[in-house]
Amino acid sequence: MAEVRMAHPDLRNPFDTEKVGSDGGATVLYNDRTVLIEQTLNEPDLWVKPADLTRINGFVIKPQGACFEHICIPIQDGAGLVKIVSEEQWFNVVAFADLMEQPYVVDKETNAWSFGEIPLKRQGMMVDAQAPDFELIDRQGKVVRMADFKGKKALVMTWSSW
Amino acid sequence: MPVWQSIYQELNDPNFVIISAAQDTGGEAVAGPIFDAAGAEYVQIVDVNHTISRVFNFVNVPSAAWIDETGKIVRIDEGTYAKTHPFGGTDEYAPAVKDWVRKGPDSEYIQSAATVTNNIRNRTADEEKAEPAFRLGNFFREKGHGEKADLYWEQARQLNPDSINFFRQDLTLSEEGSAGESFMSYVKDYISQGKAYYRPLDLDEK
Repeated sequence: MAEVRMAHPDLRNPFDTEKVGSDGGATVLYNDRTVLIEQTLNEPDLWVKPADLTRINGFVIKPQGACFEHICIPIQDGAGLVKIVSEEQWFNVVAFADLMEQPYVVDKETNAWSFGEIPLKRQGMMVDAQAPDFELIDRQGKVVRMADFKGKKALVMTWSSW
Repeated sequence: MPVWQSIYQELNDPNFVIISAAQDTGGEAVAGPIFDAAGAEYVQIVDVNHTISRVFNFVNVPSAAWIDETGKIVRIDEGTYAKTHPFGGTDEYAPAVKDWVRKGPDSEYIQSAATVTNNIRNRTADEEKAEPAFRLGNFFREKGHGEKADLYWEQARQLNPDSINFFRQDLTLSEEGSAGESFMSYVKDYISQGKAYYRPLDLDEK
């Protein structure tokens, strides 16, 4: 692979440096969301409170499991997904990702976690050609979702300035 | 880009939308003026995290998917130049779009779900992991952590060397830019490995 020359430090690093991470907290990236988690357990995996799981990926803890729309993943004993610490329930987002074969990359130094696509959420596209969901902000500041265009034909196209 | 605006105007169909997403980590500063110069009236997104490429499994620009009224994809992943272009565009694509908008399910250019799912680019586990790596790099760049940004973008490029988007986006931050010597050498290698720079446009495939 060709090497990229780092000739433009100002171009490569055009932004002011901001501190990433906080003591005991984590930054979680998923889709276009950046979720700041104030409190995690001091362990190698990412353990969050149930409400934070929902903030991250929309999954809600219910008696039947961790659920998102029609998907429910049972939380079995021994799977290492939940535990009680100081009378509070905690959820292991990493074990959950592994269970769902969801890829992730972590920067341990800053406790910044970046999660990729959840295959279960994409079966509709891969098996049945259903358009995938996305949520982006347009240039007018309006939230744009694929579902907004039901009833219309849509040409979704990419381009770039480069 | 101005060509798509003229097609959009010509079709003038309230039930047809163009959702145009600039895959640009440089943001509004680099993509905005191009949208403005084109006089774009359709949905314009400056997609700094390359989300549209991620969710539709695209690796190059321009790429597109046609979505029908029920939310089904009826064509996907082609080099969607509106007119002839040295890197694979033809004059045939835009007329096919117009035909579909006018005739809907009767257009000869829509494809079956089986063809569409077959034409969706498969990603290996490594290629899937490249997506959160790119996103993490982009996050660090926005926070002013250049070294970490470079580290995770490099990881993304290694995990998915087929992503022309990741490769060229990275080159925008180099002195030679995205269409210099490194890019030409990359394209040569890419093609010599038997990989299509764009999946060939096949308007006969149903």
